[in-house]
Amino acid sequence: MSKKTLVQSFGNELPWLLLVAPAFLIYTVLTIIPLFHTFFYSFTNFNGLAPNPDFVGLDNYLRVFSTRAVSTSFSNSIVYAVAVPLIITLLAIPLALLLDSQMRTRHLQRAIFFFPSVISALFLGYIWNFVLSPSSQGLINSLLLSSGQRKMLLLADPKAAMALLILVTVWTSTGWHSCFYLANLQVIDQALYEAASIDGAGAMQRFRFITFPNLAPAMTISVLFLLLNSLKVFDLPFSLTEGGPGYATTMVTQSIITEGINSNRIGFASAMSIMFLALIALVTFFQVGVMSRREEKLA
Amino acid sequence: MRKKYTPTTLFTEFILLAVCIVFMVPIYYLFVSTFKTQREIVEAPLALPSSLNLVNYMRALETMDFFRHFFNSLLITSLSVILIVVLGSMAAYAIARRPNRLTKFLRSYFLIGFMVPLQTTMLPLFLIMKHLGLINTYQGLIFLHSNGAVFALFLYTDFIRAMPRDLEEASFVDGAGVFRTFWQIVFPLLRPVTATLVIFNTIWIWNDFLLSYLFLSSNDKSTLIMQVYNGVGLYFTDWSIMMPVLVLAVTPMIIFYIVMQRHIVAGLTAGSLRG
Repeated sequence: MSKKTLVQSFGNELPWLLLVAPAFLIYTVLTIIPLFHTFFYSFTNFNGLAPNPDFVGLDNYLRVFSTRAVSTSFSNSIVYAVAVPLIITLLAIPLALLLDSQMRTRHLQRAIFFFPSVISALFLGYIWNFVLSPSSQGLINSLLLSSGQRKMLLLADPKAAMALLILVTVWTSTGWHSCFYLANLQVIDQALYEAASIDGAGAMQRFRFITFPNLAPAMTISVLFLLLNSLKVFDLPFSLTEGGPGYATTMVTQSIITEGINSNRIGFASAMSIMFLALIALVTFFQVGVMSRREEKLA
Repeated sequence: MRKKYTPTTLFTEFILLAVCIVFMVPIYYLFVSTFKTQREIVEAPLALPSSLNLVNYMRALETMDFFRHFFNSLLITSLSVILIVVLGSMAAYAIARRPNRLTKFLRSYFLIGFMVPLQTTMLPLFLIMKHLGLINTYQGLIFLHSNGAVFALFLYTDFIRAMPRDLEEASFVDGAGVFRTFWQIVFPLLRPVTATLVIFNTIWIWNDFLLSYLFLSSNDKSTLIMQVYNGVGLYFTDWSIMMPVLVLAVTPMIIFYIVMQRHIVAGLTAGSLRG
């Protein structure tokens, strides 16, 4: 290629490159470079201040398993990320079916169930705190006391806190997820149902053999986002329980912030971050793999 | 077959309305409590207030400086959303319309980051932002939010690929450059995606807590969400202030939801939104 055409082709490409450049720069600075930093820090004893941290090999990674507060946060996140998607999916599908019927107030009902999705999770946590507070001014406890019963520990009960956190999460997100299914229901071929009626299929059989398999595309998206958002959750447990009582509802995100930013153990917290990334990647590949196979079967 | 209103429909309608009522109890409780005295809240928590007492709201407005933080949120959210839309659509145009080795590489390059959660990058980000002196500044937080352009980029790329090229080619023949063609011809055609992105990014950025908690916690510049958090540390035991503060803080998003409801549902139903 002669020099002239090279200059010319560069001139042709330049405006296109300028279009991508800003997004490329921002993304590189905000995602790619920090990702490498985290990876590097995770093998050091970096505290955020000392310029030349020592390499400590895999020490930080091993300490994740042996530090109780931290390993608890991982197991909490996993429990939460199993329970929340499971319960929400079991509720969102029937809710979508009901909201798809000819009820006169269906639009109002959709608006009500969807409503928590537009409110900050931090606020929702505080609002539920008024309801589930262990003090006698909380809604549940004041109702119990006024009916002559003893008040309960609720959010201060280490055994109940996680279950209550899951309950509140279900309250906040089921409406949003049933919207995915509701949208999917609109595109199922009605001829399938007619054919099934002619064959004498009952309501249960129609659900099992037509509706449920045909909801696979919505399910892929919904379950993926449920899994990822449950693993990443921060605002809601933070405002509802602050991770307590003890470490009963401390999630990985909160734990990374406490270790890395509040206690300056950047190296250690970086190892947690990398393990978290591995967990996210694993879950995504597994989930997308399994779910899209269901979709292929559909096509 | 499912177009009829049967007795079963009537029955489910009643049951589901009852569920709706139970569902809204926490919100109702928050709202009615704001008009009550502390004693009234404890003695009859679910009863309607005996009078429309606005004292609590007055005290809440005094303690939280509502309008200042409302405008902080508005500033941060609107500038971030504009950046996301502008940068995301521009990059998408190049990637969708100039398929060569470089843009293909860029597409995969952006796709990697899609998977990387903030949890994995926030520690170095905190140090980088501190080094650049961008902690506790509006521009710092807006810069961080603008990374949402990557998500926008993917929605736009799919949309542009499905668009006919005729208009753009005519514009190029007329001698218009890439930038002019993009802003005058292409960008207006992207409206459906832009609308969806504006609505959902507004909700996400307005409601963001993690980023502002880490990068903008100072009292005078903080967002509405962050200011409620700051207030909680001081007033959490005094529910007669906390409850009206929350009602006030929730109001902008409720209004936004009511105004945009049709578009929100449309955005979800179109399946164009994957987040």
